[in-house]
Amino acid sequence: MWQSMSTETFLFETARWILFAVITFVMPILTIGVVRKTRARMQGRMGAPLLQALFDLRKLMQKSEAVSSTATWIFRSGAGIELANMLLLSTLVPWIANKPDGVSSDLFLIVYLFALSRLFAILAALDSGSPFGAFGSSRDATLAMLVEPASLLALVSLAVVAKSTEMNVIFSLTNVLLAHDPGLWFLAGTAIVMASLVELSRMPVDDPATHLELTMIHEAMLLESSGRNLALREFTRALKMTVLFGLSAQCYLRAWDDFWHFPVVAQVWLSIGGILGLALLVGLFESVSVKLQWRKVPEFISYCMTLSLLAAMVAVARGVVH
Amino acid sequence: MNPSLISSLCLTTALMALPTLFFRKANSVALSLLTLMFSLLLSALVVATAIDARWAAPAWLSVGSFPMTFQLDNLSVAFILLLTVLASAVALFSPGYLKHFDETVNRGLYWASFLVFVSSMALVVLSADAVTFLVFWELMSISSGALVATNHQNHSVQKASLIYLGATRVATGFLAGGFLWMHSLTNSWAFQDWHFITNASAQLGASTSGAHFAAFLIFIGFAIKAGIWPFHLWLPYAYPAAPCTVSSLMSAVSKIALYGLIRILVLGDLDSPILGYLAIFLGTISAFWGVLFALIQTDLKKTLAYSSVENVGLILLAIGVCLVAKTNGLLSVAAIALSAGLFHAIGHGVFKALMFLGVGTVQCATHTSRIGHLGGLLKKMPTTSTCFLVGAMAICALPPLNGFMGKWMLYQSLMQNTWLSGSPVGAGVSLSVICVLALVGGLSIACFANAFSVSFLGEPRSSSAARAFEGDIGSSCAQVFLAALCLALGLFAVPVIGFLKPICDAALHSDTTVAATIHFSLSSVLIVFTSLFALIYLLILKPSKVRRGIIWECGFGSVSARAQVTADSFAQPIARIFNKLLSYSVTCEIEGSDRRHFPERITVAPHTASHIERRIYQPFLKLISFIARSLAKLQSGSIHLYLVYLCVTLIALLIVGRSF
Repeated sequence: MWQSMSTETFLFETARWILFAVITFVMPILTIGVVRKTRARMQGRMGAPLLQALFDLRKLMQKSEAVSSTATWIFRSGAGIELANMLLLSTLVPWIANKPDGVSSDLFLIVYLFALSRLFAILAALDSGSPFGAFGSSRDATLAMLVEPASLLALVSLAVVAKSTEMNVIFSLTNVLLAHDPGLWFLAGTAIVMASLVELSRMPVDDPATHLELTMIHEAMLLESSGRNLALREFTRALKMTVLFGLSAQCYLRAWDDFWHFPVVAQVWLSIGGILGLALLVGLFESVSVKLQWRKVPEFISYCMTLSLLAAMVAVARGVVH
Repeated sequence: MNPSLISSLCLTTALMALPTLFFRKANSVALSLLTLMFSLLLSALVVATAIDARWAAPAWLSVGSFPMTFQLDNLSVAFILLLTVLASAVALFSPGYLKHFDETVNRGLYWASFLVFVSSMALVVLSADAVTFLVFWELMSISSGALVATNHQNHSVQKASLIYLGATRVATGFLAGGFLWMHSLTNSWAFQDWHFITNASAQLGASTSGAHFAAFLIFIGFAIKAGIWPFHLWLPYAYPAAPCTVSSLMSAVSKIALYGLIRILVLGDLDSPILGYLAIFLGTISAFWGVLFALIQTDLKKTLAYSSVENVGLILLAIGVCLVAKTNGLLSVAAIALSAGLFHAIGHGVFKALMFLGVGTVQCATHTSRIGHLGGLLKKMPTTSTCFLVGAMAICALPPLNGFMGKWMLYQSLMQNTWLSGSPVGAGVSLSVICVLALVGGLSIACFANAFSVSFLGEPRSSSAARAFEGDIGSSCAQVFLAALCLALGLFAVPVIGFLKPICDAALHSDTTVAATIHFSLSSVLIVFTSLFALIYLLILKPSKVRRGIIWECGFGSVSARAQVTADSFAQPIARIFNKLLSYSVTCEIEGSDRRHFPERITVAPHTASHIERRIYQPFLKLISFIARSLAKLQSGSIHLYLVYLCVTLIALLIVGRSF
């Protein structure tokens, strides 16, 4: 690959990678900032500055860590494994228009890499020996089990029409097979947003601002983390949120693309705008909704599953016609 | 090289093993070396022999007037190599393991059965005709039955070996029926003459629709032996009862049953979509059922036994997809599905054996495999725990291990079936199966995260777990070897699939290109991941200042190990969701004079039951024992009654004879 490249293309590719890296590090901070700011404004507060998450991370990086004496290597390396995996995923998932090409990524590979992160998150939470972390991870495993068919089916229905499981092909703008399916893209995008709310343990499944350990899901899993360990985990989660919102924003943009073609130059700005727009919507939704009772959560997931099933039906109908 | 050396080697080993029976205190190390040598020699012979060899056993070795015939093709080579790898790992592991059961285990019986078991499995795979196959199949069943009964002083082991032997009898019955039927249709015992094609004027040994019934009988026979839902009931009895070494080899046995399915039905060009869809249906249900029950088990061995049901279901599903796609003429889909089935069969053999050996080490160190009595083992048994984690990751199909590649190919075959089949039914079935597989994936993460973290992480829950220690060098070597193999099979999946290509070509009579569908590279994924992790670790985690302290317990002071989560409580939210399937309920008993405010004793226990066992198998067994008891009245032991029988029979015979 590198030998056949002229100097100009090489420089262009390098610049693309650098731009991509910068966006990957800035966007999570901004996304979290937008959600928090929206919630604050909805509650009539000014709220913390947009970049507060960055200041928090800097503070956490300077602190020392307190680690449970029960914990083994899994607890501390877990944070590193999760972040490394999430960074790897950010190069594989087509969450932003300027993602560098040439990285071959498969739908099922992505789904199972997310599962890898989840396994290590659960193990790290149980490694400390804390019952709170264990309850949180038990619920997290339950939610993941319930939401996995929905999110996979949404992506698979796109793949059925695109006749490929390669993510770059499915989300490619030049893919004619999926060019006139705004309905399918919209259904898949909405299913992915709903699934990511569950995956990220946000409202209405879990309240990220809760203060009671017994009702926490994700926060309970982080209860024992501190200092740099916590910083890594917070950043991983923000990046995961950005990547998942980005993926559904791309679906919406494809749906929109059918009605109004926008120039290629605007793609990056539209992707960023899409992610921040979704963050704004989630912030609004979190302000007006309440946390569901644990037993009602499967009901919420079944709405998501219904959307995925509709998407799958559309895909089967389209696939057979072609 | 003369291929008959292979069968002679296996037969000699089986015969040589028999005298060991009489040495109760046989030397484990010597016999382990012997098994290792046998495995190495067998794999060397198999690799050196020309593929597609056929030969007959010497004349003195024949069933009646029928000489035994053997063959060696790519399919047999794949399974024999899997067998030799597992046998060597188990042989390395066994001496250290047996030392812990010195008083109870008859080592002579163990090693004799072990050698007979391994060599008869190899001979089953080598058999070229139905009679030879059945002979060694029986030898395999009986020797594994003897191995299950190793700790026969234990009451539950007696029950388990009875159930196991019963299941193998029924399986053999179905197989024998199917084999006889096929013989009557084709007038040949050789597998290569058997073709299950309905529309077969062109084929040699053409058959009528009777072939489909024969295929059905054979399918049921192998499904029972493989432990497919709803015939899986013997598995959760036999695997936990057997010593861990035997369980890890027995997970290879269920692969032999799947080998039989591929050898006879897939290579026999079965063109029955009904049987194909039945395989898909039963495979999907097994996968879901197995992992759901694996999740709620509180014994590591039972968890592994049920997860075998899951994985065998996945392999059967792949075989079903292959059969359906082949009938519909979608050869590329059939090729991917068959490769997925074979790859997962090999992969599952390796990681399940690895995990059983891990449980074996834990059992040696703590004398229990109940999850509730373990905990904190990672600090005391680092090698075993890490290898077990690798096995758990492989079984959850996480990249870059071999489980992922098998499952990826299965998904890929279903996806291709969706966009190539052109019928809404085919597409709908594929998408529903994908949906169930996603659920199975989520459940298996929950299941093995639970099993691993409750047993190996946290604080020890019993004094024996607190005193745990690492196994001996042999057991560590065996586990590290298998764990490395899991990784290697995942990273080098493309060459392995290339090795399986001739099998697909032979089954589909065309040039297949499965390896070309893999459009990503797990090695580069691993390299990127590792370098990112190393960067994060060196730059951020390593320089950080760490203080050790107690966990957060709301300010009450240090909590005891009993406050940790148990396997039951971890699984409770999921079990609640599926409570209808599991008949799940939780009882809570509070004792004490003023129970509400001052309880003296609180007991909380979850209860589950298997619907199939309670509603179908138990009434059926009751019916059989009722009939048997009623018939037993005929044989009362009274000489007078027997004389009456004789007299009546004589008169009846005279009347019958007169009428001719």
